[in-house]
Amino acid sequence: MTIRVSALVLALVLMMPAFAAAQDAYPSRPISIVAPFPPGGVADLTARPIAAALEKVLKSPVAVVNKSGAAGAVGMSFVANAKPDGYTLLLSLSSISIIPEADKLFGRKPAYTVDQLVPLALLSADPTILVVRSELPWKTAKEFIEDAKKRPGQISYSSSGIYGTLHMAMELLSHAADIKLRHLPTAGAGPAINAILGGHVDVLASGPAAVIAHIESGKLRPLASWGDKRHPALPDVPTFRELGYPGAEFYIWAGLFAPRGTPAPVVAKLNEALRQAVNAPEFKGPMEKLKTPIAFKQGEEFQKFFDTDARRLAEGVKRVGRIEEKKK
Amino acid sequence: MAETLQNLYLGFSVALAPDILLYAFAGCLIGTLVGVLPGVGPLAGISLLLPATFGLDATRAIVMLAGIYYGAMYGGSTTSILMRIPGEAASVMTCIDGYAMARKGRAGAALAIAAVGSYVAGTVSIVLLMFLAPPLAAFALRFGPPEYLALLLLGLLVLAYMSGGSMVKSLAMAALGLLLGMVGIDQMSGYFRFHYGLVELGDGLGVVPVAVGLFGVAEILTTAGQAKPPEVIRPRLRELLPSRREWRESAAPIGRGTFLGFLIGIIPGSAHIISSFVSYAVERRLSRRPEEFGKGAVAGVAGPESANNSATSGALVPMLALGVPSGPIPAILLAAMMVHGVSPGPLLIRQQPELFWGFIASMYVGNLVLLILNLPLVGLFVNVLRVPYPYLYPAILAFAILGVYAVNSSVIDVWIMLLMGALGYVLRKLDFETAPIVLGVVLAPMIEMSLRQSLALSDGHYGIFLERPIAVTLLAVGLVLVLFNLWSFVRRGLDWRARIALAEKGEQT
Repeated sequence: MTIRVSALVLALVLMMPAFAAAQDAYPSRPISIVAPFPPGGVADLTARPIAAALEKVLKSPVAVVNKSGAAGAVGMSFVANAKPDGYTLLLSLSSISIIPEADKLFGRKPAYTVDQLVPLALLSADPTILVVRSELPWKTAKEFIEDAKKRPGQISYSSSGIYGTLHMAMELLSHAADIKLRHLPTAGAGPAINAILGGHVDVLASGPAAVIAHIESGKLRPLASWGDKRHPALPDVPTFRELGYPGAEFYIWAGLFAPRGTPAPVVAKLNEALRQAVNAPEFKGPMEKLKTPIAFKQGEEFQKFFDTDARRLAEGVKRVGRIEEKKK
Repeated sequence: MAETLQNLYLGFSVALAPDILLYAFAGCLIGTLVGVLPGVGPLAGISLLLPATFGLDATRAIVMLAGIYYGAMYGGSTTSILMRIPGEAASVMTCIDGYAMARKGRAGAALAIAAVGSYVAGTVSIVLLMFLAPPLAAFALRFGPPEYLALLLLGLLVLAYMSGGSMVKSLAMAALGLLLGMVGIDQMSGYFRFHYGLVELGDGLGVVPVAVGLFGVAEILTTAGQAKPPEVIRPRLRELLPSRREWRESAAPIGRGTFLGFLIGIIPGSAHIISSFVSYAVERRLSRRPEEFGKGAVAGVAGPESANNSATSGALVPMLALGVPSGPIPAILLAAMMVHGVSPGPLLIRQQPELFWGFIASMYVGNLVLLILNLPLVGLFVNVLRVPYPYLYPAILAFAILGVYAVNSSVIDVWIMLLMGALGYVLRKLDFETAPIVLGVVLAPMIEMSLRQSLALSDGHYGIFLERPIAVTLLAVGLVLVLFNLWSFVRRGLDWRARIALAEKGEQT
């Protein structure tokens, strides 16, 4: 009984700001941006500066909440099913379109669907870079691909996890170049780097920021990039597009989403605020330090980018298929 | 050598600057608090405070975050000893003998030994870190999936020493733990196991809610179920300090725990939890009175507490020397450096000598700060035991719920903790020990992952375990240990475990 009473009181207390919000202009209370990955990762490190910048523009507190678990599915489905009032936003990475696709593959009820979310703005898009252990003979991507063709399933790569972003990047390349590699899934981008530095695998697709120090120290050699143009930090590294594999285009991107059904005036206000926020020093400074190029896209432009990316990844997931069904 | 000392001088000139000292102190203080709060471990503490350091410069941020990291390892023992609630996952083993000591009125001694052990381990391991970092880091990276599996199998052998009494019951509990560890997304195929429609179970049952439930909540329920309330222990001041005998008995375990923890700590992964399990087993194996373990053996506190502290420095070896995210906590420290525009990597020592050596020196200072901070706190913390149970236990339960929730803002974790509490209550009534369950939950996902990763690397050939020298060595050690045990079992018929079982039977009748 007491539990029920206190739950009721709690519910009332929690709803109070909601009542207030209905009357006042948006935003009248703190906004939370959910980062569906643990602190210190790309999602978290993009969410914090944009939250700080938005706070300045909107003159209202913006907090980052880390809700990680199940490769991002926990936080993403939390926002997808949140009240569409503009007070709960999602900072998602490319994997947002992979998770429902993988759910479909296993025939389980998806935790959320992409339609439940409205894209607000793309904040950054960093192409993955193909790196190899520097003691291996390949000096160019061409040599690597030719060798991989000669020895299907012999050359190994590590990834951040099955159907994860780094796995998908490699899958897109394997398909475009018609090669077959051996896959070692690990529990995240960090362990994937450990695996190549320890000599347990030969190649890796990785975000540039995580490997640049190891490229500089001579441990890893960059061969090519998944971007549509060369990466500013690695101007000598060609893109797969240049090398004749336009299908191998992939970015680890970060963007803001709101639950579908968020009122149009709120979305308009957020869009306007974001336009200012991306140019604020609170956002630009940290992104520069993280060596992550800002790629701001909104509205139609972001929707188009998102749709192309989602389609590419959906095809990738389908091609990989269900692992346990594969026969030797 | 001379160069290292010169660098260290540079480091101390950075670390002893008043403002850096202040941040180190703040980090240690926050870490201690984070460790004392049940459930909230160093990972959660650093995660929650990472954003607060964005405004600082790189050295200050790293010094403070690292302070939280090893400070939490100090603080973690407090609630384990006083209330049988692991302050963080690596303190699970401390719950057993630490709490037993507290019940015997030796809480102050246990806390003091834990603090001193942590200090010795912390300081010695930084010396090791300083001199051995580059060669050890290269060695640590050679630990791939097959080596990790071999190490984990050795970890499973630890089970034999985790509890007295019935071996069958221990094995049953370990099997239950291994099964519970199977919940979640299969990392190799993406298949979702035993989720019952809850996405939150994707990463499996967390070690923290399981441990806090099985130990803390179960303890509270058991006490509440007793016919008359247990006597409130009133610790006297002169009983706060360890006796001469207790000092003597903890010296060697502290030394062994330090080296063991450091070696296990450098291996990439969440090895620091395993270090405390292994240390407990080693101490029990080497002890002349293994039957005292579980009933308040001081070595059972000294060893694991030193090991988990030393493992924290160990884990920093690959991070500092190679810029490699060797575990969840070093990964966050790396992110903190990157936020400040420092690119961590093999060149860090040369490019940022002030940061690197300042960091090392601040750890010496920080460990001393923690010792000075924690020893007087022993007197304060022990007073918690004076609070009558009707007030103490609801408060602890509230803190446990708060702590477990705070780690991932997940209500599901709170439910897991409460269910595990109920399970732990039933098991204790039936005389099952719950520590092997925690070991199972910790080891199962790691064993599965490393076994299947190894096979992914070898394309399905089991020969991979015999081709790699480190893996072979570890497996051979394991085999020798098993044979050794079998031999003593055959020769003597009754070993200490059976003697305990007999003795317990005698007590009951």
